[in-house]
Amino acid sequence: MRIFGILACVVGLVAGGFFATSNSSAHAVETVKIGLIEPLSGPIAAVGTDALQAMETAAEQINTSGGVLGGRMLEIVPLDNAMSAEKTTQQLKKAVDLGLSFIAQGIGSNHALNIIQFIGKHNKRNPDKAMLFLNHSAITTAFTNELCSFWHFRFDANVDMKVAGLVTQMGRDVGIKKVYMLNQNYAYGKSFQAAAHALIKERTPNIEIVGDELIVPFGKTQDFTPFIAKIKASGADTVLTGNWGPDLVRLIKYAAGANLPVQFYTIYGGLTSSVAGYGADAHKISLKQINEYHENDGNIAADALAFGNAYLEKYKDTWYSDRYRWLVGMLAAAIDKAGSDDPVAVGQALEGLTFPGPLGEVQMRASDHQIQTPLMVSSLSRDYKMPIMYKGNNFKIAFATDGVINREDTTLPTTCDMQRP
Amino acid sequence: MEVFVFSLFNGVLYGMLLFLLASGLTLIFSMMGVLNFAHASFFMLGAYFAYQISQPLGFWSALIAAPILVGLLGAAVERYMLRPVHRFGHVAELLFTFGLAFVIEELVQMVWGKVPVPYDVPESMNITAFAWQGLDYSAYRLFMLVISVGIFVALFFGLTRTRIGLIIRASLTHPHMAAALGHDVPKIFMWTFGVGCALAGIAGVIGGNVLGTEPGMAIQLGPIVFVVIVVGGLGSLSGALIASLFIGILNNMAISYDFSLYPIFKELGVERNVEGVLADLVNLTTGSIAPLLPYLLLVLMLIFRPRGLFGMRDV
Amino acid sequence: MPDPRKLGIGALIVALLIVLPMMISSSFALSVMNQIGIAIIFALAFNMLLGQGGMLSFGHAVYFGLAGFVTAHVINGMHVDAFPYIPVTLIPLVGGIAGLFFGIVVGFVSTRRAGTAFAMISLGFAELVTGLTLIIVFFFGGEEGVQTDRWVREEWFGITYGPDIQVYYLIAAWCVIAAILMYALTRTPFGRMSNAVRDNPERTQFIGYNTHRLRWLAFALSSFFAGLAGALHAINVEHVGFETVGLGQSAVILIMVYIGGTGHFAGPILGAILITLLNAYLSDVSPAWYLYLGLIFVLIVMFAPGGLAGLIMMHEPIRRTAPYLLWQMAPAYGAALGTSLVGLAGAIGLIEMIYFRSTTVSLDSALVLYGIELDTGDIWPWLICAALGAAGGYGCKMTYPRVAEAYSAAMHEARALVTT
Repeated sequence: MRIFGILACVVGLVAGGFFATSNSSAHAVETVKIGLIEPLSGPIAAVGTDALQAMETAAEQINTSGGVLGGRMLEIVPLDNAMSAEKTTQQLKKAVDLGLSFIAQGIGSNHALNIIQFIGKHNKRNPDKAMLFLNHSAITTAFTNELCSFWHFRFDANVDMKVAGLVTQMGRDVGIKKVYMLNQNYAYGKSFQAAAHALIKERTPNIEIVGDELIVPFGKTQDFTPFIAKIKASGADTVLTGNWGPDLVRLIKYAAGANLPVQFYTIYGGLTSSVAGYGADAHKISLKQINEYHENDGNIAADALAFGNAYLEKYKDTWYSDRYRWLVGMLAAAIDKAGSDDPVAVGQALEGLTFPGPLGEVQMRASDHQIQTPLMVSSLSRDYKMPIMYKGNNFKIAFATDGVINREDTTLPTTCDMQRP
Repeated sequence: MEVFVFSLFNGVLYGMLLFLLASGLTLIFSMMGVLNFAHASFFMLGAYFAYQISQPLGFWSALIAAPILVGLLGAAVERYMLRPVHRFGHVAELLFTFGLAFVIEELVQMVWGKVPVPYDVPESMNITAFAWQGLDYSAYRLFMLVISVGIFVALFFGLTRTRIGLIIRASLTHPHMAAALGHDVPKIFMWTFGVGCALAGIAGVIGGNVLGTEPGMAIQLGPIVFVVIVVGGLGSLSGALIASLFIGILNNMAISYDFSLYPIFKELGVERNVEGVLADLVNLTTGSIAPLLPYLLLVLMLIFRPRGLFGMRDV
Repeated sequence: MPDPRKLGIGALIVALLIVLPMMISSSFALSVMNQIGIAIIFALAFNMLLGQGGMLSFGHAVYFGLAGFVTAHVINGMHVDAFPYIPVTLIPLVGGIAGLFFGIVVGFVSTRRAGTAFAMISLGFAELVTGLTLIIVFFFGGEEGVQTDRWVREEWFGITYGPDIQVYYLIAAWCVIAAILMYALTRTPFGRMSNAVRDNPERTQFIGYNTHRLRWLAFALSSFFAGLAGALHAINVEHVGFETVGLGQSAVILIMVYIGGTGHFAGPILGAILITLLNAYLSDVSPAWYLYLGLIFVLIVMFAPGGLAGLIMMHEPIRRTAPYLLWQMAPAYGAALGTSLVGLAGAIGLIEMIYFRSTTVSLDSALVLYGIELDTGDIWPWLICAALGAAGGYGCKMTYPRVAEAYSAAMHEARALVTT
């Protein structure tokens, strides 16, 4: 009896609660809203809040120069997924409630895949309320190959392109003879591994792969001494790794501790969270990373540099991922070109659109919705103009360019068979 | 043979760090019967305190001060929070420490942020002590080894050969008699808990700069430490030592030798390029699953010898 | 024959469950309700272990998640005719059977011991399975998990499970069925023996029962219902990822059940609803939400081991004998509530400000709290919050003993009424 009494109370309570919240859904569409689904709470919230900060700054730039469609402002709507698949789906439903047409996300390929699948189904079932997915950092190559979709646009170079850049740069260094590959044992690490095998064979056949290792990912591997020992024993002069987070931090810390005389070619070696992790150890070994922008390079386009410096000035954070600026800027340009914020029209306008990037023009390839961009490989060095800053902390270390990878060298064929609405 | 000895040595280095962490946990468990889920969180606090203290005062001050702070905090937690829960039984105590681990992780993020902090090995010990197989071993790695061995010896003799150890053990087995003899049993428990946490704090101070100091470090290392004390036998200090060393060495051997299931499959006529279920198994090597081996060991141990290596009774 | 009033309230709940979604238009709210339904089944299943069997598991999500993976594969198999067609309406049973299977296999080893040892083993298994999710890609799909499409074909009455509302009714129906089944289980001899093993395993052994077998049975049945919930999760989200078997998921369900209360059947339901709602709505408001959750949990463990349901049910004898006594207690409760709110306002203010200073995105020092814009660079907000917290804390110290007095006085009076 009493049990059912409590139950009835609780169900009633919930009913009341939903009444209170359910009529807050309709909104007048004044601004053009972009929903940003990222982890804004939980253990990796720092990455999510940084993305939010970058997106908001990029939107602000568009807004101060007059917005889109002759005066409508862009607005970033933060949606916290706490890095859980369930909450990602929930926030997508919230985005539907709010009538958002543009969803941006990038942290976690698994969540990006969820969004692609959700939007695919949603747009099929509700063609009048379609949504576009603007992917800023989820780099699983398959999203623009076999899983490609008209509704998905990627503004970051995919794994294969980044590996192509790293391998191309390795080919320029005649000292590199033997490379050791160390990757995380999951989808991303394996796709890095596969791309590296193919591209080394194709572009730098003289480099010998002397080791190929997969480790248990996400911080589960505590002691890297045996891996360091194996790298040393293999006689490798270079380590090529896609690792990120604690798996990269510990690898570098242990290698530095053992004075391992090799170079590290990485994708994520320059992320703030990585640099904060190895601290002063980073300069002891030669650590290289690939991305699209850094402020110490003399050839960066003036407007990109101005934006990055303003960002640094405002937040005391080094501007690192210029692609946020491309994403917002290209979306604004596409909306103006389409003459409306209708997602289908904007999607069509985005296809083939170009944008002035920091190293030259970038272009959204129409055939697979993958941005085509030059990249640069840089080393973490103590010899720099401007140090890496994060929330006012000076890491006393910064990027120095090793080489720029031209767009032709990062352009790879696609297997995408695009179905357009 | 060289590889074997080399892996053995590296395994001991890692195993002793695990032991340092497990010693405090097993001390608390053997004295109080409390399995402290938040133990790795005190390890994390040790690393963060050491980072904070070493910024202005240097590593040596941190080495002394951080474990004391962690120990005092642990004692306070026992006195004001764990003791009231004691009357609800061991499962409630375990739940409390579980919740505490959750809260400590959030507090650490609140105070120090969510990205790692740059806590580094002190420059004075970041010099090469010796080189072996082309790898440099810093003086710091040796220092870690010396500290861990020193703590094992001190704990072992402290508990078995001194009067304090005698009283502590008496309080556990015969609390009423110990109290009747004029010993303040709750106070003994409080300080035991404090010392256990301080040991975790020491592990944090000397391990945090090698493993990286970040909010996720507790949850990454915590479960391994539980494996150590279960495999070693709950409450056995020597068992914890053997299990730590074994897991450390197992980890290194698994990676160095990198055994594969492929030869077995080849005998069965399965090739590397097979599709489907077998694809994942054929290409599996011990190196790629090394961090999972301790859990496998735990499961096997529980099936075949539930009391652990040196346990007095089944877990 | 069941009590007619019981049946009446039961019917009322079912009617509410049917009408509720018709009254709301938000698909976000609907997805939260779906999640609540799944959480209720999972929480009740978990409480079969923790509350009724006395087994604390840190890895029960393993059975929830594994069943989810099996379900996703079965549905995907049905799409390509690799599996015989089963109506999606009945697919949760497949998940349940998968959960039961894994529960039987793992439970045989892990239920040999209860208490601390059982908890450790559950943790070890959870870590092992979590590690394997990323390695055995064929089954777990690696980091990206397994995607599925619940729209297989039209079933009875044109149901396709395309629209969320149909999934809501599926979950609601299974939730009611599972709850009734689990409630009925507590009334069987098995349920009673499960309690006996929890309370006094030795005596249970003396009267001729095999405690290991009883725990094993409880574990397997609990895994069945956890699997049922996992299957519904797979259908609801149409995706199963590695985090569904992980420690985080296990921790959340443990926290839910314990906050709700392990000693009463309705406790886990209360916890599931409350925590899921807070998680859905509060996490957008405060970045410190997990800290609050942890603190609530710790406070419950320390001061109210019966959970919220325990706190409510403490008053049941008074309500039953003399409801007017509850009104006599109201002033003391009101005073305690008032001082608690003052203390909370201060503490929350401090926590939010520290969080804001350490993790926030901008260097602006202004934080909007309780609708007021605060400048965290200024000393005043800190002093005011600290003062509120101190005043509230001191007030609580004064008012809480009054609550205890009022309660025991009322109980005393109620008892006197019963005896006379």
